[in-house]
Amino acid sequence: MRLLHLSDLHLGFRQYQRQTPLGINQREADVAQAFARAVDRILELAPDLIVIGGDVFHTVRPTNTAILHAFRQFGRLVHGLPETPIVIAAGNHDMPRSTESACILRLFEQGFAPRADGASPILVADRAPRRLQFPRLGVSVLAVPDLPPGSVELTPDPEARYNVLVLHGEVQGVLPAAGGDDRAAAQIPVAEVTRAGWDYVALGHYHVTTRVADHVWYAGSLDYTSTNPWGELREERVAGRAGKGMIERDLRTGVQVVHPLAPTRPLLDLPAVDGSGRTAGELDAAIASAVAAVPGGIDGAILRLVLRDVPRHVARELDHAALREVQRRALHFHLDVRRPESVRREATGGAPGRRPTLTDALREALAARALPADVPREALVALGLRYLEDAERDEGDRLVPGGEG
Amino acid sequence: MTASVLGRVVATERRPNTPHEFHFWTALDAPVGVGTIVRVESTRPVNGVLPSVYGVVTEGFGYTDLQTPLHDVLGADGVPGSSASAPTERTEIRLYTAAVLRQVPEEPLQPVPIGTVHLATEADVQAALRMDTYVQGSDARGIPVGAYRSGGTDAAVHLDADFLLGPEAAHLAISGVSGLATKTSAVQWLLASIFTHLPARKGKVAAVCFNVKGPDLCFIDRPATRLDPADRALYDALGVPAEPFAQVRYFAPWHARGTHLATLRTHDALADSVTPLTWGLRETLQYAEVLLSREDIDAKADALIDFIKERVVDQRFEDKLLEGAHEVRAFADLERWFRELLQGMEAANQEQWRTHHIATIRKVRNRLGNISTRCKGLVTDDGTVSDLPFGAFEDRAVYVVDVAQLEEDAQDLVFARIISQLREHLEKRALGVEQVVVFVDELNKYAPSDGADTYVRQMLLDIAERGRYLGLVLFGAQQFRSQVHRRVVGNSGTQLFGRMDADELATPGYQTLAPATKARLATLEKGQLMVRHPHFGQPIFVRFPRPAVLTGREGVEQFPPAEVPTLEMAVTKTLRRLDASITVGQVQDILALAGDDEEAILRARNVTLLKRPDNVLAFFSKQLRKRVAPEVVGGRGPAPLRAPATDDEYG
Repeated sequence: MRLLHLSDLHLGFRQYQRQTPLGINQREADVAQAFARAVDRILELAPDLIVIGGDVFHTVRPTNTAILHAFRQFGRLVHGLPETPIVIAAGNHDMPRSTESACILRLFEQGFAPRADGASPILVADRAPRRLQFPRLGVSVLAVPDLPPGSVELTPDPEARYNVLVLHGEVQGVLPAAGGDDRAAAQIPVAEVTRAGWDYVALGHYHVTTRVADHVWYAGSLDYTSTNPWGELREERVAGRAGKGMIERDLRTGVQVVHPLAPTRPLLDLPAVDGSGRTAGELDAAIASAVAAVPGGIDGAILRLVLRDVPRHVARELDHAALREVQRRALHFHLDVRRPESVRREATGGAPGRRPTLTDALREALAARALPADVPREALVALGLRYLEDAERDEGDRLVPGGEG
Repeated sequence: MTASVLGRVVATERRPNTPHEFHFWTALDAPVGVGTIVRVESTRPVNGVLPSVYGVVTEGFGYTDLQTPLHDVLGADGVPGSSASAPTERTEIRLYTAAVLRQVPEEPLQPVPIGTVHLATEADVQAALRMDTYVQGSDARGIPVGAYRSGGTDAAVHLDADFLLGPEAAHLAISGVSGLATKTSAVQWLLASIFTHLPARKGKVAAVCFNVKGPDLCFIDRPATRLDPADRALYDALGVPAEPFAQVRYFAPWHARGTHLATLRTHDALADSVTPLTWGLRETLQYAEVLLSREDIDAKADALIDFIKERVVDQRFEDKLLEGAHEVRAFADLERWFRELLQGMEAANQEQWRTHHIATIRKVRNRLGNISTRCKGLVTDDGTVSDLPFGAFEDRAVYVVDVAQLEEDAQDLVFARIISQLREHLEKRALGVEQVVVFVDELNKYAPSDGADTYVRQMLLDIAERGRYLGLVLFGAQQFRSQVHRRVVGNSGTQLFGRMDADELATPGYQTLAPATKARLATLEKGQLMVRHPHFGQPIFVRFPRPAVLTGREGVEQFPPAEVPTLEMAVTKTLRRLDASITVGQVQDILALAGDDEEAILRARNVTLLKRPDNVLAFFSKQLRKRVAPEVVGGRGPAPLRAPATDDEYG
């Protein structure tokens, strides 16, 4: 009994200004292509059951193009895998917030011819949770759309051989902290999804493939479709994940495989450049060097380069013609120029002076710290500064969580 | 003639004495009147014993030696005021007729002898009413019903517990006009007296009172605001503490809206003491005939209802016409069962299902489905049951069931079920007490002498006839005794009468009373009763004290009912009974889970109140979670589309 879990397709997602020759937003086309590739892979894997953890579309009212694309791809699945049921739990991007709008996902449940046994090939839980029993597979799927946590009794079906929970939402403590206790009410307690009786819990909402417990997983999105792709990239790095994928799990044996999906285009966060004390010319050279070092070139890629400690007057003198060329070649080039920390007057009324940076403060603290005899001070200071540098580089990305969508 | 002699017995050919009646004359100023108990002493022994006869005055006459009224006119020269200056007073007589209460010795039963008549002393009253056999001694079981007062004699009048609560006789019927606070007050007083005086060897006793109108019985656990010294003296004399009932449990169904209880005892200071009364499918279906009219339900429908009761409710039920197994435990389940069955029959083009025709099934579905609407607040769709503590009734406790705000149908259901449950538990000796007094007001409405033979009337007749063996005692009150079924009234061992309506007194049931007694009954003051009891040879007039409890009218003034709360406040107030720290904000947060589903919120509140969990909010919140019913995918044959009509936003 093999189950395939994917989530957060975000069809219709648009980003940046670049368009395809047909006038479609390039990123929208990328996301559509990612789904098509995922469908190719699913057809190869031919699972017994497909579960989708929500956010099939990026908006409640997707474009006709996005709907048609989704219809075609689901059609491929329905016809290619005629025995494989597809269960979708609507996500927050799919669910209309007003009663006068219906969820578009229902189209897929009602739009395909029923199978020989009378069942729809695609089953959707949108307004309310559904517990779907598949006697032939011996599996019962509780599909819970994006509803307030605590509003649904998440209990397995005692009569089923295998129990699968498909749930769209934020499990407490899994997503990187972005906010605080005020989010607690919107989060699902871990105990709710890890309780005994579930053979697999397929989660949707978080875009990074993440293990919550051995049998509880976020499949992650099929492309970088969150508002801050750089944060999403960083969170993948922290989680030790490279790119996007889908999860295949054998419910009988518990064996699980994450199937990676090739990215539609490179998303590259280039190493940051320290601009302190450098001239505009030196920075132009550093930028050119960083861009030239991209393996495979930057054509069509999505790039970011962070310049640290660059005063405004230096930034104004950068070679903007060269930068425009980079932007032309890449799908998107984000030059993130960060100014040095401001000079301030001490509150005690003393002479104005430069405020010690965090690096200075750390260096001083580590220099004065009592150490065991066998710990070399220089190595400790260097390690501490490197950690700080890593942390500072990530800090900008962390301000907006990356993988939530 | 000694000072204690009140009068002398006289007998003439025209007015002879009999073993049951005698006549005596008295001095003009003798303290005697209708209802006075007297003792006759004869100087002629019978079989060597000087007989004593006790009687109660039932009629009085007064006349002079005037031949005609005209003689008096002539004597006064036609001037009424001049009669005071007449040289001599005319001879005048006070002649009384008394009914015999008791003759000592009882045998041989002879006409009342000529002798002297004396006012009855306290001991005489005991002897006259045969109270000496049950008020004193090791088998004392007297229950004070009031005080006999006449001619300066004050004597407690006791009822025999064996004849009031069984097993010798039982039941009590109290009649009187409305608005004089006699019937309800008398029952409250008598219950207090029973609780105080019923000997422990007679077993435990409790009372179930149905509050059928206004706030009558809603404050009987609160002390009276005013109790006159005369009332207190009566309490002292009758040996009953002038206190409200110590143990009272109130039950009331929810208001149809479900936010608050349908009672006038909703003041914040008292609301905690009222327990919701709610029943589910099983409890209701057992008494479905109470709610279903005979015209509606014929033999075919009866058969289907029986089938549902025996084969469907509270068990797993499968049928090829149903999509899956059903476990019908609530009205909502039953509705689903009917819906699926009818859909299945239509899909299979079947008109009969297990011998039941589709029209019968539709009719029964309609009638049963109606019940939870007609009895909203009492009967719950979800099967939540909150009931009287059958099996754990407490000694000397009063259980007040407030049905005043229920529809008539629902009131009938409450009577039928509670009384039947009491009977069933008493039969098994498993109620928690050995005797239960059931007080039903407006008995002429529930057990009328004419009209349709209803389930409730049948049940009251059954109690009246068999209840005394079980310890199930009916205290019924009615304005018009003549309008209550004869078998109910006739089986009441004890009968109390307050002030009566003259028209009512003219009915055949009162023919045995002398005109003077009827006249007195028609003018009885508050706090006075005429008592009939098996031991008393004749009806006796007594006084009883005002109940030491807050009256309904005073209660609503002192504890005005709370305003109708919002849903949030209603839930918060109810949950605070279990955990005082709960805030409205916390409740609002949880209610957000249920959205607009008010019924789900009220259901969750009811279950929480019933289960009384340690963590009230967590439990309440859990109840609001949607429970997802399973759908079998691919269980049926090919279908064109999944129920396209049901989820079409355009309707």
